[in-house]
Amino acid sequence: MIATIVRRSFANRKKAAALMIASITFGTAIASSLIVISMEIGGRVSRELRAFGANILVEPEIEGMADLSGQRRYLRYEDIVRAKTIFWRHNIVGIAPFLETDAEITSNGKSEKVGLIGSWYYKELPLPGETGTFPVGIKTVSPWWSLSGKWSDSADNIVIGSSIASEFSVKPGDRIDVDGTPLKISGTLDSGGIEDRQIFMDLESLQRLKGAGGKISKVLVSALTAPMDTFAYRDPASMSKAEYEKWYCTGYVTSIAKQIEDVFKGSKARPIWQVAGTEGKVLKRLKVLVYLLCLMTLAASTLGVSTTMIMGLVQRKEEIGLMKALGAGSEKIALIFVTEGIMIGLAGGLFGYLLSVGASQYIGTKVFGIALEQRAMLLPMTMAGAACVSIAGTVLPIKKAMEVRSAVILKGEQ
Amino acid sequence: MGSADEFIKLRCVSKEYATASALRGIDMVVEKGQWVSVVGPSGSGKSTLLNIMSGLDNPTSGQVVIDSTDITAMKEDEMARFRREKIGFVFQQSHLIPYLNAVENVMLAQYFHSIADEREAADSLERVGMGHRIDHKPSQLSGGEQQRICIARALINSPQILLADEPTGNLDRENTRKILELLNRLYSERQFTIILVTHDPFVAQWGRRTITMEDGKIIRDEYR
Repeated sequence: MIATIVRRSFANRKKAAALMIASITFGTAIASSLIVISMEIGGRVSRELRAFGANILVEPEIEGMADLSGQRRYLRYEDIVRAKTIFWRHNIVGIAPFLETDAEITSNGKSEKVGLIGSWYYKELPLPGETGTFPVGIKTVSPWWSLSGKWSDSADNIVIGSSIASEFSVKPGDRIDVDGTPLKISGTLDSGGIEDRQIFMDLESLQRLKGAGGKISKVLVSALTAPMDTFAYRDPASMSKAEYEKWYCTGYVTSIAKQIEDVFKGSKARPIWQVAGTEGKVLKRLKVLVYLLCLMTLAASTLGVSTTMIMGLVQRKEEIGLMKALGAGSEKIALIFVTEGIMIGLAGGLFGYLLSVGASQYIGTKVFGIALEQRAMLLPMTMAGAACVSIAGTVLPIKKAMEVRSAVILKGEQ
Repeated sequence: MGSADEFIKLRCVSKEYATASALRGIDMVVEKGQWVSVVGPSGSGKSTLLNIMSGLDNPTSGQVVIDSTDITAMKEDEMARFRREKIGFVFQQSHLIPYLNAVENVMLAQYFHSIADEREAADSLERVGMGHRIDHKPSQLSGGEQQRICIARALINSPQILLADEPTGNLDRENTRKILELLNRLYSERQFTIILVTHDPFVAQWGRRTITMEDGKIIRDEYR
């Protein structure tokens, strides 16, 4: 009977019913799209933020200090590819190894001691144990570095920082003395940082030149990470086995750093907090913003249902008054409104979901340049959520309906 | 609190509004199975008396006891339960739900009482001569037909009391007679108690007892 009452009542108030369904449809469509965005936002924004550079630094366990034998410590060249064997290997989007040495450069009667750095600008290494390659080099961790000319490809040529090029008045194609050996300048590098006062050589060539075969000073890693939360900052040593597994299997910058450290023998890997911390904050704030927008949108939908129902009460007062006179208790009157709310919610939720499929793709394309995938599991969630929102919208109308006085209404005095 | 002879008992019932008194210390007893006509001019308090006896309105003072239950002490939901168990209503305006058809309007009263039963509702419409109109909406029915549906709805849950407020007020003499004959037949079959408010002497004469009201008071109580 309740279904008949509600169905016939809707048929009798088509405009009001359509208005309420539209209110829920738009609310859930926006909320559903925002939820899809919030699910995707971590990965997408993290990828966008990779343009800010590496977020993990790997160095020898005692960085730059002589040990008891007086030898500097180095990382092993062959461990570079092992970074692509860790649990979160697919999240590693850039690796750049560096061999740091010094050299004295002389040109046009001027001399200066500068850093001579061995590295790659861009190359692809074979994936360990798999077919295919993965990109490595400065370009993968510091995409904003600008190279004019070509990268060094042997011990006969070098790339010099833009400040040095300016100071020594040299350009690509010129020659400059490095430790007394004239080398050709293949290109200039502009990073906007200290690298502008360094000179660069192909990694393997510098290793041979300095007799440091298989050795590297540090590695910068750029990884897609999950936003840092309180749990992520905990010391893994103090975690239980279950907590450690959860931490290890979550893409925190700390857990990825730990996994990288495990594959670089004698290394200490640590997050570069200026980058990783900012990413976490940005992502967290974006998610909070998305959730707030969701809540506000759904609140507006609730208000839409509530207002329309209250306006409809003017027409329905006689009906409510009659029902009360016939002995309808509060619960049966409320049940009519709640059932209406559920039906509006389910219909609005279904339409809202369908609308959000297009909306997600549009927003994804506009903001991230790719269509975001709408997930089927969101359909029941959206419909249930829409029903709850719609039911919330019936609370005030139910309260108003309870205030209807049958005696007055049925006498036609209101 | 009461006996079978005092099925409905009003003790010193008054109803005050901001600017007027609708009822002034009404004392009245109705026996079970009586047909009581309440007559009087407009504003004499007839409808207010009916509303208070049904619990749709509360007296300012006094007590209403029905079937040994003091309904003036009841909360709203208790009163709703009492009403659906004991009382059937017929109003001057038919007050049918416009978007439900005849049988669904009757089923509505069943639903509020217990469980809606379409067959039983259709049978009740058959008994009031509306078996051929069960699928019709109120707007497709005449005033007399609408009142027949209201009577079927009022009696579907077998109430002990039928309260009727000017049930023929909008009908012509022929339809009025038909409705009263119908009521009389059902009354004879089921022996429920009828309190019928009217200003029409023709309608009032169908009752076995006539209470005349004026200015919120009972001024005459006659048995036939």
